[in-house]
Amino acid sequence: MSREKLEALGVHLPLFPTTSVGSFPKPDYLVRARADFSKGKITQQQLEALERQATQFWIEKQEELGVDVLVDGEQYRGDMVAYFAERMPGFTRGGLVRSYGNRYYHKPIITGEVRWPGPMTVGWWRFAQSLTRKPVKGMLTGPYTVMDWSFNEYYPDRKSTCMALAAAIRREVEALIEAGCKIIQIDEPALSVRPEELPVAIEAMQRVTEGLPAYFITHACYGAFEYIYPEMLRMPVDNFDLEMSNSDLDLLELFRRYPFSKDISFGVVDVHTHVLEDPETVRQRLARALSILPKERIWVDPDCGLKTRTVEEAIGKLTLCVEAARAFRNTAG
Amino acid sequence: MNLILASTGSYPRIGDSAELQVLRRTIAAADRGECTPAELAEAEQEMTRRAIAEQLEAGLELLTDGQIRWYDPISHLAGKLAGVKIDGLLRFFDTNFYFRQPVLTARPQRTRPLLTLEYRFASDALAALVAARPTDGTPAMKAVLTGPYTLAKFSLVETDAMGALETRALAYAEALAAEIAALVEAGAEFIQVDEPAIVKYPHDWEVFARALQVLTAVRRQASGKPWTLALHVYFHDPTPLYEKLIALPVDVVGLDFTYNPRLVEVVASVGSPVPLALGLVDARNTKLENPEELARQIERMLPRIRGGPCYLCPSAGLEYLPRDRAFAKLALLKRVRQAIRH
Repeated sequence: MSREKLEALGVHLPLFPTTSVGSFPKPDYLVRARADFSKGKITQQQLEALERQATQFWIEKQEELGVDVLVDGEQYRGDMVAYFAERMPGFTRGGLVRSYGNRYYHKPIITGEVRWPGPMTVGWWRFAQSLTRKPVKGMLTGPYTVMDWSFNEYYPDRKSTCMALAAAIRREVEALIEAGCKIIQIDEPALSVRPEELPVAIEAMQRVTEGLPAYFITHACYGAFEYIYPEMLRMPVDNFDLEMSNSDLDLLELFRRYPFSKDISFGVVDVHTHVLEDPETVRQRLARALSILPKERIWVDPDCGLKTRTVEEAIGKLTLCVEAARAFRNTAG
Repeated sequence: MNLILASTGSYPRIGDSAELQVLRRTIAAADRGECTPAELAEAEQEMTRRAIAEQLEAGLELLTDGQIRWYDPISHLAGKLAGVKIDGLLRFFDTNFYFRQPVLTARPQRTRPLLTLEYRFASDALAALVAARPTDGTPAMKAVLTGPYTLAKFSLVETDAMGALETRALAYAEALAAEIAALVEAGAEFIQVDEPAIVKYPHDWEVFARALQVLTAVRRQASGKPWTLALHVYFHDPTPLYEKLIALPVDVVGLDFTYNPRLVEVVASVGSPVPLALGLVDARNTKLENPEELARQIERMLPRIRGGPCYLCPSAGLEYLPRDRAFAKLALLKRVRQAIRH
C-alpha cells in the first residue's frame, strides 16, 4: 500500500530500500570550524561553506555506497531539537543537560508563543537534492518530541504546547513539499515516554501530516514500545523507522503477536557501539525481520543517527546495511 | 520549623563555563586514553566538591554528593556487582536521559563497596567546606541508592535462575543491604532508597515490598548506630499508592508532587504516620514556582503529618536541569520555608 503511494509520488525503490536515520558524523574540519564559529573566529559564511562541503561529502558517499534514499547528514545541525528551537520564535536557549554518559546538549526553554519563522530546512534539502538523482528525505523533529525535550515556561500544559508546535511544524512540511520533497521523516524518539500521552502524539502528527502529499516516516528509538504497541500503529505515517538491534530485536516478538501494519525502516546495526558488526550478524537480523514481516514492507538502515560514530565507523555501518539489503534482494526478489 | 531543606539526589555535573566542564573534558580524554585514572578521579572530586558547595550555598541542611560519578542511576550500582554485565541504552522513565541496562549472567553479588568510598569522600568534603565557612546548624550528608526492585525491573537476564522478577529483586536487595550496612558503618546516618519504578508499575507491589523488607532488616543487623531510611518515588503519580507507601516500614517517604495536583489534598486529608519528603519543587522544568503558593500547600499538609520533621526537596534529582536553574530551584526551597505562616 505504501509502496503504491511512493510510486504515485514518482519514487521508485527496490526491495529492501536502504536509508539512514538522519545524522552523520561531522568531519574533523567541521568540528573545528563549529568550535571556531562559537568563539567568533570565523564568520557564518565561512562555517556554512564547510557545512556544504561536508554535506556534499556525505551525499557522494551515500551514492558511492549505493544507498537508495539519502539524507543530508545534518552537518549544519547540533542537536535535533535545539536546531529548530534556535530558529523558532518562542524558544530561549537553555543551559547544558546530560542525555547519557558524557553527552550533553542545550535543552531549549519555551518562553513565549511558538511560531514558524519561515523555512528552516528547505534550503539544505534543496542543496542536498541538487547533488543527487536519488530521493533525499526531508528531516524534521516531531512536535511531541520537541515539546517533551524542551522546558516549558509559557503554555499551560503539555498538550497545548504540543499542538502549537504541530501547527508550526506543518508549515515546514508544506514548505518542503512545495520545494519538491517526496519523503519526509518526522522524528519522534520521545514517542513512548508517557504511554498515556500517545493520543496527544498521534493527534499532533495528524495535525502535521493530514492531507499532505508525501510519504511520511517517523523515527523512534530506545523506548518502551511494549506499552504503546499496537496502539502506536495509529500514528498517521507510512513508515516507522525503529531502533531494533540495540534491543536485540525484542520488538519482533510484539510484531509476532500483533502484526505490524506499516512499512518499517528496520535498524540492523547498533549505532551506540564502536564495534562494527560482522556481516553474518547483520544478515541474521534481517533474516529474523523477514520471518515476521512481509518483504515488501522492510527498509534497511542503522538503529539511529550515526553522528556519535567516527566517519569511518559510520561508513562501515552504512556499508553493512547496503550489503545486507543487496544480498537479500538477490535471494528474496 | 519542622521542615528540613534537602537534596533529592543528583546535581548537574556540568555548567556552561569552561571550569564547570572539567569532568566532561576529562572523561573524553580518558576515553581517548589521554589521561590517567588519577586525573579522572580528581575531576570527579572537583565537581563533587562544587556540587556540595552549591547545595550549602543554597541553604540545604541534608545534602548529597550530587551523584557526580554516576554514569546513570542503574548501571552505577548494578555494574559494580558480580554476575552483572552492562548492555545497551534505554530511556530512563519519561526523561530524555538514557541509562545502560544491566544483564544478569548470574545472581548479582556484592564483592566490593558500591558507594561507601564515594560517601566518605562527600562526607569529608562537606566537613571541610563547613569548617572553612561555618553555616547555621549542622548540615548532613545522605547516601542515595537506587532500590532493588527498580534495579531488577530494568535488568535483562541471561540465566534462567534470575528469570523471575522477585528472584532478581531479592538478590539485588541482599547486595544493597550489605552496602547499606557498610554505609552505616562508614558514618551515614541518612540512607535514601529510590524506587521510582514502583509508581509506574504498581502491579509489582508485592515484589517491591518483599525486596524493601530485606533492606529494612539491616536495621536489626547493623551495629546499633542510629540511622534513617527514606524511600523516594518519583517520575509518576504516587497518589494511587499513597496509603500503601506511608504504611511501609521506612522512616521517611519521599513523594513527587508534580504529576498530580490532587496529591496535596490527599496528604492533607489522609495524613501520614511517618514524615514525608515533600517534592514540591519541580526538578524537571525550569519554571520557578511561586514560593507563596508552595507555602500554602505545605501549611495544609504539615499539621496532618506525624513522626517528626518533614523534608522539603525537589521532586527528583536535579541533573535534568541546567546548572543555574538547578541552583535556583535549591535556593527556592529556603524562600518557600520562609513563606510558611506559623
